[in-house]
Amino acid sequence: MKHTHLSAIAAAGLAATLLAACGDDVGSGSAAGASAAAGGGGNDSLSCTNEIQVEGVPQVTVWAWYPNMETVVDNFNSSHEDVQVCWTNAGQGNDQYDKFQTAIAAGTGAPDVVMLESDRIPNYVIQDALVDISGYGYEDVQANFSEGAWKDVSVGDAVYAAPVDGGPMAMIYRTDVFEQYGVTPPTTWEEYEAAARAVKDAGGPLFGDFGANVPAVVMALQIQAGAQPFEYDPANPTEISVALDDPASVKVLDYWAGLVQDGLVGTQDQFTPEYISGVVGGDYATYVSAAWAPGYLSGAGVGEGADAGTFAVAPLPQWEGADPVSVNWGGSAFAVTTQAADPELAAGVAFDLYADEESLTDGWQNQVIFPLNQDVLTSAEFVDYEVGFFDGQQANKEVYVPAADAYEGFTYAPFGQFYYQSLTEQIAAINAGEVTGAEAAAELQETVTAYAEEQGFTVTD
Amino acid sequence: MTLVSPAAPAAAPTRPARRRPASRGREWLGLVFVAPFALVFLVFLVAPMAYAFYLSLFSSGLATGTRFTGFANYAKAFTDENFLSGVWFVVRFSLVLIPVQMLVSLAVALVIDGLTTRFARFSRLMIFLPYAIPAVIGALMWGFLYSPNFGPLDDIFGTFGADAPFLLSRDLVFYGLMNVVTWQWAGYYMIILYAALQGIDPSLYEAARIDGASSWQIVWRIKIPLVLPALFLILVFALIGTLQFFNEPQILRFLASGSIGGDFTPNIYAYTLAFSQGQFNYASAVSFALGAVIFVAVYLFLFLTRRRGSFLS
Amino acid sequence: MSTVTSTRPPAGPRSPAGGAPRKRPRQNNVLPHAFLAALLVYFLVPFWWVIVAASKDAAGLFGGSNPLWFATDVDYLGNLQQLFTFDGGIYARWLLNSALYALAGGVGATVLSVAAGYGFAKYRFPFRRAFFAILLGSVMVPLTALVIPTFLLMSELRLTNTMWAVILPSLLNPFGVYLMHVYARDAVPDELLDAARVDGAGELRTFVQVALPLMRPAVVTVLLLSFVGTWNNFFLPLVMLNDNRLFPVTVGLNLWQGLASANNGGGTSLWSLIIIGALVSIIPLVVAFVSLQKYWQGGLTIGSLK
Repeated sequence: MKHTHLSAIAAAGLAATLLAACGDDVGSGSAAGASAAAGGGGNDSLSCTNEIQVEGVPQVTVWAWYPNMETVVDNFNSSHEDVQVCWTNAGQGNDQYDKFQTAIAAGTGAPDVVMLESDRIPNYVIQDALVDISGYGYEDVQANFSEGAWKDVSVGDAVYAAPVDGGPMAMIYRTDVFEQYGVTPPTTWEEYEAAARAVKDAGGPLFGDFGANVPAVVMALQIQAGAQPFEYDPANPTEISVALDDPASVKVLDYWAGLVQDGLVGTQDQFTPEYISGVVGGDYATYVSAAWAPGYLSGAGVGEGADAGTFAVAPLPQWEGADPVSVNWGGSAFAVTTQAADPELAAGVAFDLYADEESLTDGWQNQVIFPLNQDVLTSAEFVDYEVGFFDGQQANKEVYVPAADAYEGFTYAPFGQFYYQSLTEQIAAINAGEVTGAEAAAELQETVTAYAEEQGFTVTD
Repeated sequence: MTLVSPAAPAAAPTRPARRRPASRGREWLGLVFVAPFALVFLVFLVAPMAYAFYLSLFSSGLATGTRFTGFANYAKAFTDENFLSGVWFVVRFSLVLIPVQMLVSLAVALVIDGLTTRFARFSRLMIFLPYAIPAVIGALMWGFLYSPNFGPLDDIFGTFGADAPFLLSRDLVFYGLMNVVTWQWAGYYMIILYAALQGIDPSLYEAARIDGASSWQIVWRIKIPLVLPALFLILVFALIGTLQFFNEPQILRFLASGSIGGDFTPNIYAYTLAFSQGQFNYASAVSFALGAVIFVAVYLFLFLTRRRGSFLS
Repeated sequence: MSTVTSTRPPAGPRSPAGGAPRKRPRQNNVLPHAFLAALLVYFLVPFWWVIVAASKDAAGLFGGSNPLWFATDVDYLGNLQQLFTFDGGIYARWLLNSALYALAGGVGATVLSVAAGYGFAKYRFPFRRAFFAILLGSVMVPLTALVIPTFLLMSELRLTNTMWAVILPSLLNPFGVYLMHVYARDAVPDELLDAARVDGAGELRTFVQVALPLMRPAVVTVLLLSFVGTWNNFFLPLVMLNDNRLFPVTVGLNLWQGLASANNGGGTSLWSLIIIGALVSIIPLVVAFVSLQKYWQGGLTIGSLK
């Protein structure tokens, strides 16, 4: 051994391993099997976070991360004799999506029902991972939601999820900062910039934040300006139009790039302790966000200390004041996966879960969700509610309900994950001063088009 | 046996226990001892590698399905900007990190080797301690410490009237990560070096001193040359570890998604491809290509340092 | 305690861990001590921070109080109670899972390594050199690159999202085999084995009663290293497990971090839980390393003997 030359050993090791690799039929045989076999039934691991209340009836597995999910599941199980929900929190947002994506690729391991944000749905539809549930009792609940809400969970005529909550966008602001620097809530983006400048010139804090990790916000703001990033017809599944460098998209990117360059807004990643502490400390005069944001902020401890009672909300600033456009950020729905053992049963659960009054009330009163159910949206209790976080402001009536009503729905990308990653990179580059908005848009168009083509799409403009 | 050459640094030119063939009939029993490990080795190393290689020969597209494309994925990987930028990052990272790490650990080991106080023993243990901390938690702790808003850096720099650097920003994340990794591993390497130093026969020092050598000369002429094999071992491990850098940047991504993208290191890129984009075929190719790059890098390194004496015996 | 002494001539080896005092000329030790003290501060700051921060609530964490000093209202008990009751006490489960994975993976990997290392060192079986060469080559294979295909294979076997998915791959420890090989070769004299055989002991008995005791320091080292490796593992369980009740504490804290950043714990500030959870989770390993230092500090020498 001692005299063996290293290279001989190394080469032998590599060769032997490779040889073994080529001869390994078991692994290779199953490889094809893994990608082909979808629909194994997701019930194989029946380990629920919740307690099953009725034994001996079919169970439907659910992944979801709503903070009050335990209550919601208990409500469902105690009111259903014939089916029980077995719930797991598989992580929030991307963590769960990664797991779901993995389960799709493996052909096993997905739950029957999965919580998805609307903008992710086409991503899984194109992989045949979701079941069209329009034939499973959709008509019965159709009237409960607005057209915009349904559009967000549909691809073409097919309905892929049951809407639960939404994220009509608005602008949260600090009343103390606004008062101190004598600005009023801006109604247009032009006014937003002017107010930002006024505050900065007077030595005030940053006016907002353009975080690289919220590409969904940037896309929503581009849509607000009239962009139509993706057009996709499920009848023609290999064709897609990608328009990421159109004038509207460029305008929005350039606008924010300008604010960043002039030091009017911050570039901190959102949802981080860093950002939260900035919000608590009054580092940001506004937070361009969605209807679930007050719940998120108060859950993170904002508005409880010295900053209590300093927050208020105003409608999202517009490009054209005369013609307001309402956009959405986040909000989720329950989809049925193609791995579900019994799709019809699972669809029933998707429609019924988080649809009972008790759960919805628990959700919105604790500010965990902004419900899309019309019964709630039109109830006086909800509309007139004086939100504690906003110091008693009737935020639903004044801002969020009108925004939700005006929302028309949108078609998202079938490769949203990749698009968001690319957008995040470009926002980071803008924030670092490496590119202008227009350059970022051009680069995005190129990257995403290349990706789409590589995935086998024919890309049209 | 090279990598393994057990030639104890200085003092032990002969092995105490010479091998002597035991009687022939039972030699095959060695296989019985090796078999359980061999099974695990086959199932969890050879099979996954084979499988990864197999998968890497196919391509899948959202709109096209899966088809055999031979080595196309490799051709793509080695022209893929995302993969190459990740490789370039870990190469740069290794070039800066490893010398720093080795310098720190060697310095500490030399200092501790020269001291016999309780404080030195205590330090030895405490400096080693970060090794016991999961990377997840180490990264989490440093992430908080780096915070300009509520971390201590602001106070520290503030007393000098300077602004604290944000070590997770695009420009500085390189150093931010370097600090986390050095903190985590320097102690472990220090212990290995320390143990090697302790293995040196003290009579060598006495002899050197009689010849009039100063402490520095002893360090340079005796100690460092004699722990060179241990240094090389550390280097190889650090190289393998750094090239497959994953945990720390993955954890810190949530604090700095603008600085640490989905293609930050080759391993993160493979993870992103596989688990967030579902491109297992291409991800397998990237994994395999990374493995090849590491294998070649380590091999090259061993080859280039071959002449340096005892390491390759 | 004379761990590696057998690899050295008997004359004058100092026991590596004990730091047996030796005579040297008096020298000025102030400078080295100052150097060590400065480094100590650096290496201990994160520990100090986590101890301090674990006493705070969310407001204390982010509200601009001194990050390196305690808040006015230190509340360890309250935080601990929250930690162990939040979400039905799932944190305790994570700790137990970590312990189980680390024990099963660590002990299993060690047993396999010891047996294989001994086999390689003491028997001249056919293809031994080839096998060993492959083993050495495999030390250079980046193990994380194997996680993706291992996941796919495990999902074929319907083993993902089970404890086995974490434990079984953790049994693989080529470097452990190599360490045991080096150690067994040098520390277990063939004469002793032959003598035992002459006395009529079987191969297994010879191994267990004669060789194993001699290999003890290396066994403890490999055990500790694989225990730490499994306890600290993040990538593998992250990929393999969906059910959060199977998570080890590393992945669990990562889950909370995700929940804390994007949402909230339904009124509970997860950040303070994450930090006290981090503190609690490092205690077992710190205790293990401090209490077992005599063993590993000696055993690690094998690694440096190369």
